Amino acid sequence: MSETPSSADANDIALRSSIDRSLRHPVMFFFTSGALWLAVSAVLGFIASAKKHLPEFLDGCSLFDAGKIDAAHINALIYGWGFQAAFGMIIWLMARLSRKECTSSGIVLVAGHLWNFAVLFGVVGIMLGMGTGVPWMEFPKAVWPVLLLCYMLITIWSLIQFQVRDAGHVYVSQWYLLAAMLWFPWIYMTANLFVFVFDGNPLMAAGIASWFKGTLFLLFFLPVAVASAYFLAPKVTGRPVYSYNIALFGFWTLAVVGPWAGMQKLTGAPIPQFLPYAGAAAMVLILVPAIAVAINILKTVSGHGETVTASPALRFTAAGVVGLLTYGILSATTHAFGFSLVQFSYTDYGFDILGLYGVFSLCAFGAIYFIVPRITRREWLSRRFISWHFYLSLYGVITVAISAIVGGISQGEGIEAWNQSFLAGAGRAQSYGWGVTIAWGFLLLSSLFFSLHLLLMWARLGRRSSHPTLLTGPHADSPHGPEGEVDNYGSATA
Amino acid sequence: MKFKAFIFGLLVSFGLPWLLVIVVPFSAMRSLEPAKYAGMEIDGGDGVYIPKRDGRIKEGSEVYGQEGCYYCHTQLIRPTYAGSDVWRADWAGLKKSADNPDTRRETLATDYEGEKIAHIGVMRVGHDLSNLGRRLEANLKGTQLSPETWTFLHLYNPRGITPYRKDSQDREERSACPSKPSLFKEVSKNIAGFNALPVASPEGKAIIPSDRARALVSYLVSLKKDTLEQPVPQNLNYNPIQPAAQ
Repeated sequence: MSETPSSADANDIALRSSIDRSLRHPVMFFFTSGALWLAVSAVLGFIASAKKHLPEFLDGCSLFDAGKIDAAHINALIYGWGFQAAFGMIIWLMARLSRKECTSSGIVLVAGHLWNFAVLFGVVGIMLGMGTGVPWMEFPKAVWPVLLLCYMLITIWSLIQFQVRDAGHVYVSQWYLLAAMLWFPWIYMTANLFVFVFDGNPLMAAGIASWFKGTLFLLFFLPVAVASAYFLAPKVTGRPVYSYNIALFGFWTLAVVGPWAGMQKLTGAPIPQFLPYAGAAAMVLILVPAIAVAINILKTVSGHGETVTASPALRFTAAGVVGLLTYGILSATTHAFGFSLVQFSYTDYGFDILGLYGVFSLCAFGAIYFIVPRITRREWLSRRFISWHFYLSLYGVITVAISAIVGGISQGEGIEAWNQSFLAGAGRAQSYGWGVTIAWGFLLLSSLFFSLHLLLMWARLGRRSSHPTLLTGPHADSPHGPEGEVDNYGSATA
Repeated sequence: MKFKAFIFGLLVSFGLPWLLVIVVPFSAMRSLEPAKYAGMEIDGGDGVYIPKRDGRIKEGSEVYGQEGCYYCHTQLIRPTYAGSDVWRADWAGLKKSADNPDTRRETLATDYEGEKIAHIGVMRVGHDLSNLGRRLEANLKGTQLSPETWTFLHLYNPRGITPYRKDSQDREERSACPSKPSLFKEVSKNIAGFNALPVASPEGKAIIPSDRARALVSYLVSLKKDTLEQPVPQNLNYNPIQPAAQ
């Protein structure tokens, strides 16, 4: 760890801890409520997936009707967990990197509560049959202006902090955060206005909804995850980012490629023909920024294998970066060769989950394991909880990726075989559907470990120790000295 | 990297695709030129192609969205370069038989008229529904069931009724669709009258569809996106020639 008193001067430490203190409540609120939404989404995802291969599952419980529950699941995942984790990361990272305290944590906290009520209203609304029927935008129509307002109230202070920062170096993380903060309102307003407010062709509404789905991941969740990786990798290893030029290249390729993605979902639909092609091309080219980011982060941490395994923050981040590389490779392959095969199969869902969980959430977990001890001034309670969370997450997301993406190809082949019975083809997906269901079981367990741990930290029950909780046993040559000796607050409870 | 250059770069790299992918196509698709029949020789008539659909399209389409049907069903018959949908039995229309000509065609831009959003669909766990109304009509011919009743029964209990394909009784043709009990209600037999579904119910009670179910079913049986009742202009009709079975 680079934050030893000997290497940083006292003013610096005081500034950092005052920034952490100013953000303690909003950031903890976003992380804990986000983690609980993640658990809710995992339950809903489990049921939604089970209904695809066991149609009688929970039959007669109209709240959990198929279709509605798929919508509730993915919306809870995006708006409940994804956004709140991203908010916590954005406001903390931006404050730390701009070296400015947050002076409006009260407003952020109020907006965060409002956001949660809006998401709750939206998810319950979907389950009661009041959804809009637009993928990823199913919340009843009254919800989106509220979400947009909350978003503004939460992130505007980070923009201001960046503007009033003392002149100096702008970090790579800051590019990504700044861009994500500006892209999202543009994307969200465009999608909602063009789909719900302006009167247009219904096909174009479907196209714009797909574009929203594509860009929301590539231009909001991905940049936030990458920003966190660009912060943590150098911070934890104590090395500068491997290459500034690769970082620059990775950022601008994402900025140029990302906005085109999404409409490949409408391949073959009677819309202007270049739209699906542009979308598919973007999904192929996304491999370029993915490789750039992966090389840069992995090169930064290479040679620090022990740190990567020992630090929960770095271990999750590294897994997320490998997830990004996998996403890029699989996306480029499926969209370049035979996209029609997987256009309407499980593959699409596999990409959604690989992106939202395998890339974004893993990086978010990394950030949370780094941030929470600093703002609560307590260390994580249990190394075992973190390990369980890590392995269950990893196995879960790998199972989803294999079952849905690879299984989706087999399913697509079955459906495309037009002279075979349709249900025989679609039936190929059933066993892979089991895989997705079991994976959500894993992810549910992992999120339970995570939420419980986070709630304990939120209740200020963390270890009062100057030793970070590492995933490998204590070392005699640790920079913090042998375990227990520097401990001012009695023995550690891990 | 200067801040102004950074913001300018973001504006250009995002604004250009935004204009080209969203704004321009949106305005272009907003006022589509109506398709014209080419004349006597090819189309057997003159005039403008006006798509017609019967039923409570707008409300039904909304209920379809609210119930999340699009997570498992698509409504898109892709051209042959993008998929084999047009060849699959009954998806794109009816194949040539003694009763009817070949009525298959691809999806047209006008096919979703009257709906707020085209329910393209997320995944094909179930059948494509572009021509659900048409194939119910054809398959239920000569049976007691009307397409409406069949659809009500299917939504109430998808595996409780005989498959609509007369020729197949095997397991594979049985529906994998979860039921939608929330669309139905149980009322006293006296109130139900003709609306009662022919399903088992407690003594003195009957199951009737709710208003939402009626709208949904009216929409579903209206899905007849083929050329049987309404030929489309030749320049839009890419009726595929079926490839030899491998």
